[in-house]
Amino acid sequence: MARDEQALVELVDLATPWLLGITQAMLQDRDEAEEVVMETFRTVWQNVTPVGAGPTGLMPYLLRVARHRAIDRLRSRRRRARMLAAAAGEWTGASAAPVEPDEAGRPGWQVHTRVHAALDALPPDQRAAVDLAYFGGLTQSEIAARLGIPLGTVKTRLRLAFARLRTSLAGLKDWVV
Amino acid sequence: MKPHEWFVEHRVDYAAGILEADDAAAFEAHLAGCEACRQEIARIEADLAWLPMGAPPVPPRPGLRRRIVEHVLDGRRRVPAWAAPAALAASLLLALGVGWMAQGQRASLRRELAVERARVAALEDTLSVMRQAGRVLYADLEMGGARGALVIFADEKTHRWSVVVHGLPPAPGGERYQFWFITEDGMVRGAQVPASEDRPMMFTTGMPERGGSVMGAALTVEPAGADDGPPRGKQLAHLML
Repeated sequence: MARDEQALVELVDLATPWLLGITQAMLQDRDEAEEVVMETFRTVWQNVTPVGAGPTGLMPYLLRVARHRAIDRLRSRRRRARMLAAAAGEWTGASAAPVEPDEAGRPGWQVHTRVHAALDALPPDQRAAVDLAYFGGLTQSEIAARLGIPLGTVKTRLRLAFARLRTSLAGLKDWVV
Repeated sequence: MKPHEWFVEHRVDYAAGILEADDAAAFEAHLAGCEACRQEIARIEADLAWLPMGAPPVPPRPGLRRRIVEHVLDGRRRVPAWAAPAALAASLLLALGVGWMAQGQRASLRRELAVERARVAALEDTLSVMRQAGRVLYADLEMGGARGALVIFADEKTHRWSVVVHGLPPAPGGERYQFWFITEDGMVRGAQVPASEDRPMMFTTGMPERGGSVMGAALTVEPAGADDGPPRGKQLAHLML
């Protein structure tokens, strides 16, 4: 196996559980989440330049690409008017338990716990809005309908929540160097 | 035509990807001509870069790694005809990843080293808490006929705990294990605990930001979706400092 291919394998080992985590949380479909992850690696492999990953590093870039692709899929579902039916009552939340065990030795686990702590520190109503919007992929109007609250309230909760999260998460470093 | 103030107000919404499709499209059109918004969006994206890792990791199914690698390499073989294939392939290989920003073997070695450093750093961090722990708390667990234990290594200098849970079976369908801090103001939710009888679950945690002084910890099995409020499920362990 070529050295760069070996490096790709290692990157896949390192990043795939986290990419599956966010895409499966959003899409609630394991097969579709795997497709998104495959597309993400191919996109990054083909397009990343030495500066392409941005100042925050490779892992955030992979996460961003994966999440945006999951959003694209959700929008496609909406166009087919299936999104709400698929999400209603089935989404288990950002903090749903992983399918298999994990441990602190897994690279990235500390980041996960830091992010979780930041999410847990949010007031419950803001946390619920972030879970549905960011990890559930619902639009603000869908959240308003689902929670039975005015759209303006959803916007306010999200704005306050993301302002707090920006402060809480700004210091995290890239563990993939 | 939306005023600039609207875009300023919705920068975070756009960066987080939570705008409605029409508004997102309007924002993208606006960004093409607004340097200030582009710069601020970049800052927000950097600040929120790790937020997706709030979702728990999902172990890949067998064979997925091979499928991903084949998918990527298959795509590499289909590089556009307009590029000089050998040069482009070489540049793509060299470009992949922050750890591979240098050239050839050196870059790859740096990346391998970085991966190992990350693993070692995570383990060292956990071990440092265990090593410095002023108190070690232990409780037996019993769940579905399986017996295990909850062990907490409390480092009182750094106010961090290393928590080990072993022997628990995977949570029953529709339920999950939840770690709690017992504080002056009541129970404060901690990490969720994926479990396996095959190997222990370990995590390192700081103290919660709210709830006042921490007086102890508990482990419960909660209904899935109960993401806020006090414990509702069965208590498996209860430890007081």
